[in-house]
Amino acid sequence: MKDYQLAWRNLWRNRRRTLITAASVFFAVFFALVMRSFQLGTYEKMYRDVIESYTGYLQLQHTDYIDESSLDNGFIIDPELISMIEGDPNVTAVIPKLESFALAAAGSRTQGVMVIGMDPENEMKGLNIINRLVRYRLTPEAVEALKAESLPDRTGKLLDVFVNESFTDEASLISILGIGRPDTSDVLPLFRKHAAFKNGYLTSADSGYAVIGNGLSEYLHAGVGDTIVLMGQGYHGATAAGLYIIKGIVLMPQPEIDNRFVYLTLDDARYLYAAPGMATSAIISVRDTKEGDINMTRNRLGQITGDGLAIRTWKEMNALLLNQMEADNKSGAIMIGILYLVIAFGVFGTVLMMMAERRREFGMLVSIGMQKGKLAKVISMEMFLVGFLGVAAGVAGSLPIVFLGYARPLRFTGEMAKMYEDYGFDPVMPMLLPDTYYLWQVVIVLLILLIAITFSVRKIFKMNVINAVRA
Amino acid sequence: MQAAVFMIVSIPSGAQQLTATEIIRKADEKFNGELSGYSVMSMTIIRPTWERTVEFKSWSLEDDYALTLITAPAREKGQTFLKRGNEMWSWNPAISRLIKLPPSMMSQGWMGSDYTNDDILRESSVVNDYTHSVEGEEEIDGRLCHEIKLLAKDDADVLWGHQVWWVDKKEFIVLKAELYDEDGYLVRTERGTGLKTMDGRFIPSVIELVPAEEEGHKTILKIMEVKFNIELEESFFSQQNMKTIR
Repeated sequence: MKDYQLAWRNLWRNRRRTLITAASVFFAVFFALVMRSFQLGTYEKMYRDVIESYTGYLQLQHTDYIDESSLDNGFIIDPELISMIEGDPNVTAVIPKLESFALAAAGSRTQGVMVIGMDPENEMKGLNIINRLVRYRLTPEAVEALKAESLPDRTGKLLDVFVNESFTDEASLISILGIGRPDTSDVLPLFRKHAAFKNGYLTSADSGYAVIGNGLSEYLHAGVGDTIVLMGQGYHGATAAGLYIIKGIVLMPQPEIDNRFVYLTLDDARYLYAAPGMATSAIISVRDTKEGDINMTRNRLGQITGDGLAIRTWKEMNALLLNQMEADNKSGAIMIGILYLVIAFGVFGTVLMMMAERRREFGMLVSIGMQKGKLAKVISMEMFLVGFLGVAAGVAGSLPIVFLGYARPLRFTGEMAKMYEDYGFDPVMPMLLPDTYYLWQVVIVLLILLIAITFSVRKIFKMNVINAVRA
Repeated sequence: MQAAVFMIVSIPSGAQQLTATEIIRKADEKFNGELSGYSVMSMTIIRPTWERTVEFKSWSLEDDYALTLITAPAREKGQTFLKRGNEMWSWNPAISRLIKLPPSMMSQGWMGSDYTNDDILRESSVVNDYTHSVEGEEEIDGRLCHEIKLLAKDDADVLWGHQVWWVDKKEFIVLKAELYDEDGYLVRTERGTGLKTMDGRFIPSVIELVPAEEEGHKTILKIMEVKFNIELEESFFSQQNMKTIR
């Protein structure tokens, strides 16, 4: 009989103990995997949201801009350099922008804002802010009209909770208002009829128009067609002041951005800030976004930018966000660590009991001629098998949930969704597909097993056969 | 007999007998005009990487009213600033907006210079808000000056903890001033040069402000034209006038 056959049979001689130990490992692994998948998925999503809506993966900047992001650290755009960057195999678009602070005012309300000047045609190649245009708004009149129609109960109740809310697409309408799948084809046309929002967007030819964030529009009580004043300091201390008509309203995912977002054409921004031909940064859109590709692209482009300018990656630009996420990540890892610690003690407990219980058996085996080394080997195999049983079950159990969560992320509805959005998060539970973090779980379980095995093997070798047989 | 002796003793025998406060008052009135004034000035703001010049006309009445109109460069032309007592407004024709400057903006530079909004509002309180003492005398640019320390009064609402002024003994011109904050740190040094006679008074025509903490920062004020004690009414200093003055 082979050792592993012996080990396997030994396991099932005491079925209950085997199953309980395997179950505790299974629960730990399963829970850890699902939690980590969700956590890591959330970070991924947050990074991607910021990158796609704001910073981009790479940016061309003045060397000093990363430390002091003021207008005076802008640079003159050289069209030849732009062409060269666009020629890079991984680059899909270069979007210069001029960004600075200003005070926005409408009537007697004022708010500090970030003014972003970009050429709209150019911007659409990379950022697609047009996707964030508000398409539906539940004004009190809209809510009245909708309630007059026949709606599912839940949606009807939630309408009152979300009066005056704005939505950029039907997906968020569906999730936040709890519209069930079977009802969508009936309910959505009603929303299109009563709650559609009249909106517009900038074109390259526009001058004197602005697109602003939904939060800003609400605070200033200024909507499409109203005029806002922008005041501030321009390049080299010049006074910046201008009047702009609101052409469109967008809902940006992060409230900090949404409350301060003003989008002007690049020409308008340059005139406002007395910065002709200048930009504060140029977003570089890329095709392959894996870390390795980004770094290689950055190195290639760094060769051609020369002195005074630098290529920055999204990690450098979002250092603060990264730090926050890493801190959160580590605290999540600690929690999982504590979970595993508890499980480890459970496993040790089981092993201890097992060794005590089978002392007579071991003593007998050794006394009839089994070598201690072989016995130790069989016991070790038993433990590995139990461990892997638990891990395999845990992994198998988690995979359906992870894949489902990835393909169709769970969307929160109602007030939960609103709470998420208030914090700037999309109300979904994003999952990360199996990655290195899966391997980590196996490694940790292996470690626990190794400690347990070391202990058992020691016990076997130290065993006094005579005493054991008499146990 | 007693009267004669009294008169001999009390004959003023020159500037040395003036109190520190009186010296400061004379210097202040000489430069700012006892009653009113009109001036045309240019202000050059110098920074490590750039330089900018703004030109403006300014009217003032006593210590309480002032109106300034920016005349150059073209981008800034037409902006006006009004001071009435302790309040300041600004008007920008490009956006047709009248803005009252909030207290939070007082420490910011006026038009981006080293001369703060607060300085503009409070420049004429040197006589009333400080106690004055003569510290000695020193020669600045070849002219003998009183060195006078101005210590802010406890209840005075001033930014500066104390100032040191070098006032020319003969002409009562402030040739140099050092401004210190409440903790005694030097914040700014001001120098008056380009002495010449304008509208009958011998005053510095160039004033240089050098902040102590910033490398390479400087603001230079040049007086191109000045008229003292002109006809001005309080009604001149109004919000309507801010919008129409040329």
